[in-house]
Amino acid sequence: MAKITRRTFVGVMAASTTALSMPSIAFGALPRVVVIGGGAGGATAAKYIAKDSKGAVDVTLVEASKRYYTCFFSNLYLGDFRNYGSIGHNYYGLAVNHGVNMVHEWASSVNSAEKKVYLGSGATVSYDKLVISPGIDLKFNSVNGYSPEAQSIMPHAWKSGTQVQLLKNQVKGMKKGGTFVMVPPPNPYRCPPGPYERISMIAHQFKKTNPTAKIVVLDPKNKFSKQGLFMEGWQKHYPGMIEWISADTHGGIKKINTSTMEFETDLDTFKADAASVIPAQQAGRIAMNAGVNKGDWCPIVPASMQSQADENIYVLGDASIAKSMPKSGFSANSQAKVAANHIRGSLTGSKVFAPRFANTCWSLVATNDGIKVGANYDAKPDKINKTSGFISKTGEDSNLRKATYEESIGWYSGITSDMFS
Amino acid sequence: MKSKFVFFSIIILLLFSNKILADDKALAGADFEYGQHLSGECVTCHNSTGLGQGIPKITGMKTAVFIKKILAYKTKEKDNAVMQMVADRLGEEEINSLALYLSKTK
Ligand SMILES: Cc1cc2nc3c(=O)[nH]c(=O)nc-3n(C[C@H](O)[C@H](O)[C@H](O)COP(=O)(O)OP(=O)(O)OC[C@H]3O[C@@H](n4cnc5c(N)ncnc54)[C@H](O)[C@@H]3O)c2cc1C
Ligand code: HEC
Repeated sequence: MAKITRRTFVGVMAASTTALSMPSIAFGALPRVVVIGGGAGGATAAKYIAKDSKGAVDVTLVEASKRYYTCFFSNLYLGDFRNYGSIGHNYYGLAVNHGVNMVHEWASSVNSAEKKVYLGSGATVSYDKLVISPGIDLKFNSVNGYSPEAQSIMPHAWKSGTQVQLLKNQVKGMKKGGTFVMVPPPNPYRCPPGPYERISMIAHQFKKTNPTAKIVVLDPKNKFSKQGLFMEGWQKHYPGMIEWISADTHGGIKKINTSTMEFETDLDTFKADAASVIPAQQAGRIAMNAGVNKGDWCPIVPASMQSQADENIYVLGDASIAKSMPKSGFSANSQAKVAANHIRGSLTGSKVFAPRFANTCWSLVATNDGIKVGANYDAKPDKINKTSGFISKTGEDSNLRKATYEESIGWYSGITSDMFS
Repeated sequence: MKSKFVFFSIIILLLFSNKILADDKALAGADFEYGQHLSGECVTCHNSTGLGQGIPKITGMKTAVFIKKILAYKTKEKDNAVMQMVADRLGEEEINSLALYLSKTK
């Protein structure tokens, strides 16, 4: 028996309190984990539970798509720094290397009393522990005049896939000297710096092929993530091209008209030649169906990522209220490892270590001009608590900015192989 | 004869305990399983296949080399915001456990 240290103490406790509640082990069947959503949170959780339990836990991943196109680096695709194929990933590695059962279907509902997930085909899968990491759904009507139909005219491109291809075509096809209007989402939303990296990458495209084009940003907020760094970069690389207008300045977006391409605000009516509208967001619908939400998002227990509503359900990533962590792929991946360790501990009695969370988000402002923000977190009873952090500085030298961009490429390759291989 | 045996035993014991002491000192509190668990945090950036671009491979590193490199970030002697933050919250037990695990992992 290993000596009890700070790191093993939690585990010993967990093992002794859960030993009695393992009927499936007592009857010789494997405990079952079902994961809904094979993105940054779900793919990571499925992999770590399967890998570390070495066959002692049966893991099923329910994911609608056979190919996952990352939202991360979709902006770099817009700027021609990546091709579309390079941001797509399949699930063979999870199945072949770790024995995860892949089910490519929609989870249509959850019966938490019976511990069953209903699939689109009508089949059901039962679970001992359920992980929900469905990402976001969009609240189309949060912008007056926007709708599911409007997304083909003014793509949000906030769930990756074909929407991003559509947006890129519209950017490249915009008339010379035209105006691109961008509406970022209100807080909270996935990837706080994402809309501003997108603006940078669209500006980068225009600078190459349509240098007299303009970008007007009608923000529902008065400030945004890495604002000083983005503003400095826009001034430096795209002088005069980007006009960012804060909520207090334009007074609110009253209405958008997708046939005339007009954006009505108190300040003025803006006419666009192409546009991207990112509406407000909420947890993926299956979380609401499972009853683990409180309003738009799902409260969790910081130490384990268990739902506050149901101890057999864990909610990861964008869908969760993981305050003070931002909604990012890095955060979801980090939360998944905490949950995986806790789930395995409660099902097999393996050690449960003290939770540790981290996040870093890189953004590309222009060629070889990368910026980053990151933080460490620990679990307090009422929130995931930031313990330290850093952010790039304005006026940094170009070698550092280039190294920062290169780091982001290393990170992309790291996190995607961590999720999928 | 007897004294010779005792003499030898003492030498062997000394050598042995010295070795334990040396290892203990270098890797106090090291635990392979803990190291493996902690490495989950590293592979978000450090490609587990070692083929990363922009971020170096850290598996298969000799324990002493690893510890020296981590301490360089921890003491801020080496400049990198992300690695300084990572190293910042690694205590001796964590560093040694990671050193043990990473040294034995390809
Ligand atoms: C433009 C942009 C740039 C970004 N850049 C970064 C970045 O640089 N770094 C970073 O860390 N993060 C970035 N993000 C954020 C990141 O993409 C998300 O935070 C992350 O993907 C969240 O992970 P998740 O597991 O919560 O959800 P997702 O990764 O969205 O995964 C959810 C999965 O669940 C599936 N699903 C949903 N409901 C069901 C159901 N009922 N049945 C079956 N399957 C279902 C979906 O198909 C999807 O594959 C960016 C986002 C955007 C939009
Ligand atoms: C957020 C991304 C990120 C995470 C997470 C991360 N690293 Fe790093 N690591 C880097 C980068 C970037 C470098 C290169 C830094 C430099 O240029 O000095 C690096 C360098 C290193 C080096 C030096 C390698 C060499 O050969 O010089 C070691 C050792 C290391 N990391 C260990 C770790 C360990 C152990 C962990 C997990 C506890 C970890 N890293 C987590 C990004 C990360």
